[in-house]
Amino acid sequence: MALFTRAPKAEPILGQNRAVANVLSFITWIIGLAFFFPLFWLTVNGFKEESVASADPTLIFDPTLDRFTEVTESNAGLLSFTEAFANSFWIVLTSTALVMLLAVPAAYALSIRPMRMWRDVLFFFISTKFLPIVGAIMPLWIIARDLDLLGTRTILIVLYTAMNLPLAVWMLRSFFAEVPKELIEAAQIDGCSLMGQIRQVLLPIVAPGVAATALLCVIFAWNEFFLAVQLNPTGASTIPVWVNSQQKFQGQFIASLSAASVLATFPVVIAGWVAQKRMIRGLAMGAIK
Amino acid sequence: MAEVRYEAASRIYPGTDEPAVDRLNLDIADGELLVLVGPSGSGKSTALRMLAGLETVNKGSIHINDVDVTLKPPQDRDIAMVFQNYALYPSMTVGENMGFALKQQGIPKEERTKQVLEAAKILDLEPYLDRKPKNLSGGQRQRVAMGRAIVRSPQVFLMDEPLSNLDAKLRVQTRTELADLQARLGVTTVYVTHDQVEALTMGHRVAVLNFGVLQQVDTPAVLYSRPKNRFVAGFIGSPAMNLIDVDVSGDSGLKIGDLPVPLSPEVDAALNAMAPGKYTVGMRPEHLKFATEGIPGEVSVVEDLGSESFVHVTVDHQNESRTIEVRAEGETTIKRGDTVHIAFNGPAHLFGPDGERVGD
Amino acid sequence: MSNAVIDNEVESKQESHEAEVKRLEKLEGWKRRIPILPALIFTILVTQIPFLFTLFYSLTDWRIDKTDPRQFIGLENYTSLTSESEKFFRDAAWVSVQMTVLAVLLSLIVGTMLAILLDRKFFGQGFVRTLLITPFLVMPVVAGLMWKTQMFNSSFGLLNWALNGLGLDSIEYATRYPLASVIVVLVWQWSPFMMLIVLAGLQGQDQSVLEAARVDGATTFGIFRQITFPQLRPFLELGTLLGAIYLIQVYDHIEVIVGGQPGANNLPFYIAQRSIGGGNRFGLASSYSIIVVIASIIIANIGLRVLSGLLEDDS
Repeated sequence: MALFTRAPKAEPILGQNRAVANVLSFITWIIGLAFFFPLFWLTVNGFKEESVASADPTLIFDPTLDRFTEVTESNAGLLSFTEAFANSFWIVLTSTALVMLLAVPAAYALSIRPMRMWRDVLFFFISTKFLPIVGAIMPLWIIARDLDLLGTRTILIVLYTAMNLPLAVWMLRSFFAEVPKELIEAAQIDGCSLMGQIRQVLLPIVAPGVAATALLCVIFAWNEFFLAVQLNPTGASTIPVWVNSQQKFQGQFIASLSAASVLATFPVVIAGWVAQKRMIRGLAMGAIK
Repeated sequence: MAEVRYEAASRIYPGTDEPAVDRLNLDIADGELLVLVGPSGSGKSTALRMLAGLETVNKGSIHINDVDVTLKPPQDRDIAMVFQNYALYPSMTVGENMGFALKQQGIPKEERTKQVLEAAKILDLEPYLDRKPKNLSGGQRQRVAMGRAIVRSPQVFLMDEPLSNLDAKLRVQTRTELADLQARLGVTTVYVTHDQVEALTMGHRVAVLNFGVLQQVDTPAVLYSRPKNRFVAGFIGSPAMNLIDVDVSGDSGLKIGDLPVPLSPEVDAALNAMAPGKYTVGMRPEHLKFATEGIPGEVSVVEDLGSESFVHVTVDHQNESRTIEVRAEGETTIKRGDTVHIAFNGPAHLFGPDGERVGD
Repeated sequence: MSNAVIDNEVESKQESHEAEVKRLEKLEGWKRRIPILPALIFTILVTQIPFLFTLFYSLTDWRIDKTDPRQFIGLENYTSLTSESEKFFRDAAWVSVQMTVLAVLLSLIVGTMLAILLDRKFFGQGFVRTLLITPFLVMPVVAGLMWKTQMFNSSFGLLNWALNGLGLDSIEYATRYPLASVIVVLVWQWSPFMMLIVLAGLQGQDQSVLEAARVDGATTFGIFRQITFPQLRPFLELGTLLGAIYLIQVYDHIEVIVGGQPGANNLPFYIAQRSIGGGNRFGLASSYSIIVVIASIIIANIGLRVLSGLLEDDS
């Protein structure tokens, strides 16, 4: 039964004999390093003196943490790193939690005990992502202003939730659809309520899928720039806004900019690294249906 | 401990015209093991799921212990079900699986553990209580599924082909264990299978379904010796009964090849009172024998099972080639290509043009 | 009692039973809808209100800078789209098409190749996979800045440093090849996403089918073409769908890398330019947005119909 055994590792598609296999491994390594290189270079530059960074590219230099301390210092008139970080953290955490809270029952209603027009409802959710944010920013800004929510965490939490909900509903629905119908029926016969079915039977099975979905929501919410800079340029600003302001301020100061960029992307990169295995397992579980 | 009654129960899937289950009438006595058997698509699983509350009953009603449960959801019917794929909760241990229903009823942990342990003892599951389903063999998982049902002490057990995922040897062994267990517990059980051998060996009574319609419900012995129609005759019994169509017209009488077919007196009388047409003669392989005179034919296949052999013979009947299967005692010397003569070893079954049994 | 009376009793019992069944089915229908209502209501409130406003504005000639009050002009904004004055709109639309199609296609191809390379056991597989995922995790603003200042830049950029080393002149990529530059960064960021999806698809393969193919004498490439690839189709289609949905709306990269050069203005950026970016023609810009929505709906509808089993009903 598919749920009890991990899918056997697929036989390598390419190359059976040793020499070919080694060459392929080598090529893969090269490509991996090449892909990562721009980020490696970025990080390296963060540790350089400005003069070193502007000169010919080099890997030999005296590393320093000065750039990092410079950009995180509170400068009058500029956004504070710690504030922006705190804002981003809470906004992303809250909106992702909200997304999961809303999406799990929604996915249930579209898969396990599907409502009659589930395909249309699913399409509706997806279609909400067709409207360019840049086009809708005026009404959003006006409504936010009228509700006194400009420059607050709340407005971004609400908007990021709406932004990620379609993706979460789509993914969770396909994971739920993978769960064998008999398990739900058995739970029903055993006297399980709806909440009980979700909590005790469903979620443990689709846990990797839930993790994958949550991670994607975190990535998209943390990295979102446009809404943040339009609605919260000074109050409750997020990290993307902070890093962008560094560019305006630091301009051509490569090393400082690099240091700031590293600080800005660092949390989500770590989260992604830690959760990548689960992400793949989650996607493998049933992202296609 | 309960009687189960289906009253003209029908299931019609939305968008279809033909009912999946057509006006099923069935009375199941308290403590009985009733087997629902039939080919794929016969409606047996659907009928079981109607009793479980997993399928809507479009027409008619279902009663458990004289209570009309037709409109009740599964959790209110006090039933337990064993699924074909066992449907064990993968994230819980064996013990937690078995105790799940009790947990839903709010029974405290100590009492739950006690009941789970009792059921585990009956099924030899004690050493596995802390394991998760993915670390169990197929046979062990099957027992856990049984254990989960037993723990509930329900009014009715429902079993949907619980043995079909086991290998052949394990299946035979588990079959007898299951029948024994049911007899000991004395819980009314409705059991679905497509394997008629399983049906005959396990059931107190067997209900044969085809295309959603109940064909016959009787004890295995009666089903075997007095099938009510052509379908039941051909379905029950392994190897299958030989069914030969005979055109009965005028004075030629009932013959296969040139050999007249022996009938019991009542059947003979009934036949004479009926119009000519296409009738079907049924002969079980063990009611045929090889003789020096009889229907001539050539042996095509010999299945030598050691204790007995089944010989397939090609004969000429009413200008067509037919195959008749004859049972011979073990260690036969008959081989492929031999010419043999088939004779009757007892009265034949007879079915009319409408497929119904002629006579008693 | 006569038969007729008995029949009537049975019939009315049947009828009331059937009526009860129908009632329960209706109730069931509502019970199934309830879990999705919170998400649905929330989404409708937060997304449809701005949408309706945008729709309304698109039917006006709203400009922030003029002193005349906003006037309702019906479909004038839309009809003007084919005229000479809206050439830039059409250019931007064309850029959007190129950018989306190329970015999606190239990411898919690169991602698939990466997935194939990664779908084997080799030393440091996990590490390399980690390296390959990272571009997707990076903030678009940062990615854009990084590529712009450190790779493409004619003074400090690495690409030029390499070119110079080979004796060739520096190229200011962002200005010479704006569209290509943006697409390079987009592909760099989205290939990992495609890679993950395809990797998931590769891992779900049935080992025994591959073995059977080998026994039948199929070549490595043949196996991929005839067995693996057809099986990957749903995953590729999912990648295409999700990728397209996000890549149509790309904005951050464009602002940061090429900031307004006509060659790389896609629709979202052009919309911004025409409205909040100083153009102040909010009514007109709103009509652009609505066009994007309509086009997306049409394309998505066609896409979903073509795509295999993406919306299969398993129940």
